[in-house]
Amino acid sequence: MRRGNRILLSCIYWAFVLYVFVPLLLMILMGFKDSKFIGFPIRSWTLDWYMGVFVDAELLSTLGYSVTIAILSTLISVVVGTWIAVLLEGRKFIGRAAVFGLTLLPALVPGIISAIAFRIYARWLGIEPGMGAIIWAHAVHNVPFVVLVVMARLSTLPKSQIEAARDLGADPIIAFLRITVPYLIPAILGASIFCLLLSFDDFVRSFFLGGYEPTLPVLIFAMLRSGMSPEINAIATVALVLTAAIGIWAERFTRRMNRDTNP
Amino acid sequence: MRNEAAAQGSIPQNGADRTFWGRLSGWTAYRTVMGIATASPRRQFLILAAFPILWVLTQHLGPMVQMLRVSLMDAYPVAPGVEQSFTLDNYARFFGDQIFWQPFFRTLSFAAVFTFCTLILTYPVAYFLARHVSRKNRMLLLLLLLIPFWVGEIVRTYAIMILLGNTGAVNLVLQWFGLIDRPIPFMYTSFSMGVGIVYLTALYMLLPLYSALEKLPDSYNEAAADLGAGAWTRFRRVTLPLTLEGISSGCTLVFLISTGFYATPVLLGGPSTTVFAQTIAGFFHVAGDEWPTGAAFATIMFAGAIVLTAVFQKLMYALRKGDTK
Repeated sequence: MRRGNRILLSCIYWAFVLYVFVPLLLMILMGFKDSKFIGFPIRSWTLDWYMGVFVDAELLSTLGYSVTIAILSTLISVVVGTWIAVLLEGRKFIGRAAVFGLTLLPALVPGIISAIAFRIYARWLGIEPGMGAIIWAHAVHNVPFVVLVVMARLSTLPKSQIEAARDLGADPIIAFLRITVPYLIPAILGASIFCLLLSFDDFVRSFFLGGYEPTLPVLIFAMLRSGMSPEINAIATVALVLTAAIGIWAERFTRRMNRDTNP
Repeated sequence: MRNEAAAQGSIPQNGADRTFWGRLSGWTAYRTVMGIATASPRRQFLILAAFPILWVLTQHLGPMVQMLRVSLMDAYPVAPGVEQSFTLDNYARFFGDQIFWQPFFRTLSFAAVFTFCTLILTYPVAYFLARHVSRKNRMLLLLLLLIPFWVGEIVRTYAIMILLGNTGAVNLVLQWFGLIDRPIPFMYTSFSMGVGIVYLTALYMLLPLYSALEKLPDSYNEAAADLGAGAWTRFRRVTLPLTLEGISSGCTLVFLISTGFYATPVLLGGPSTTVFAQTIAGFFHVAGDEWPTGAAFATIMFAGAIVLTAVFQKLMYALRKGDTK
């Protein structure tokens, strides 16, 4: 009975793996099709669509634009998120629950509502749609994820190390910079990668806060509205490879860091 | 002689520490600032807390409050020289026309159905990973599922379009096996939208379920087996009740995310599956004077989603209470 269950469950697991992988693999494959028409069967193959991506100056600038936004918004999220995590972790004060609840708010608001709220707020603050607005919205949206990751790591920091540093004459800032920050590095890096991916792939906030220059997901969306083409496959594949590579690298990296610091 | 000894000694004297940190703490300016800042624990706390509290109030709460405020205005932006006035008309507009509340209820019911489908689909997967896979392989198999989920919303939506199109892979395979002789129009229906949304949210369900199942001690199931419970009874009376918390948090997360999709319904849905996100967005693509209505509609949607989530949480809580008694 148990054996039968096991086999059944493993079949379900592999079916699920197929469900998550097959669409993406088909998309990559379709980019090699030697026809403007999207669909099976594929009779002849070409590299033209992929080559086209790497010589398209406009596309490359869009890619650069998205990456710049991702990096800048990540920097803000990480600094703010770490600060909030240090305040909240292991400290009791009046209103802590309220601050913690508010901290998680942007992660729980459904995408479209979050985008609309940012759009309205940006106008009220006088922020024009464009790069600055997108960076700001991504940064605010990603803060909760940084807080959660950093807080989890912070809860395992041996408090005696801080006390020892303070006993040896370090003031709070020096103790924080020399003991806490190095200990937090794996969490901060992990959170940064997560923020980079979230920002790079974000559509709804970029769409509502963007000016005339589109980010990569917004560009793909706009192209898709005028119909499917192998060109989009190639562009989407480039985006996919970029995100997956960063993700896999980060996964390995954070695991190694965790192993090194938590034997 | 004494200076030399101090320079060679392991304990740096004040000012003799040539490291970056030593130099920093040696600066008079730094010492003065730190002296003021750390004069009392209370002041130290205020300095630490001021920025985060200001941030969550202005950046996290601010947009929501401003959205609520604009939703009550009769015009936005307020024209110069005109006094701004507040009204409930924007909310009334929603109830006045079924063109608005149809997509509203469709969104909430679709989100509920998609959430349930996600749960049914990922529970066995999480169960397999947490209970049947060795610890060593577990991370590897989980990682395998994580990779596609790093890829963004638009790219994955597009991948589903290729899968389900009239000349897509599913139709191709079905025709191959002779099950159908003409392609089934999967696209632009609630089905294609569901496949897409489940695809996008599955991980948010899988992870809470996985961690709940992983925490479940084997001894409970063994005890139930010793008492003569069969596999199905064990699952129903032991595993399921003890993972209700994971189910509850996974469903909440997936439900809230599902209500917020905009691009996926636009690309995968059809005219008969318009969701409320599209209605809301419509007010923001036109001139500014429709913004208050859009803000009101967004507020209604958020309120609707929150109320449903709260009811669901309450139900789950009652269920959990009843089971542990």
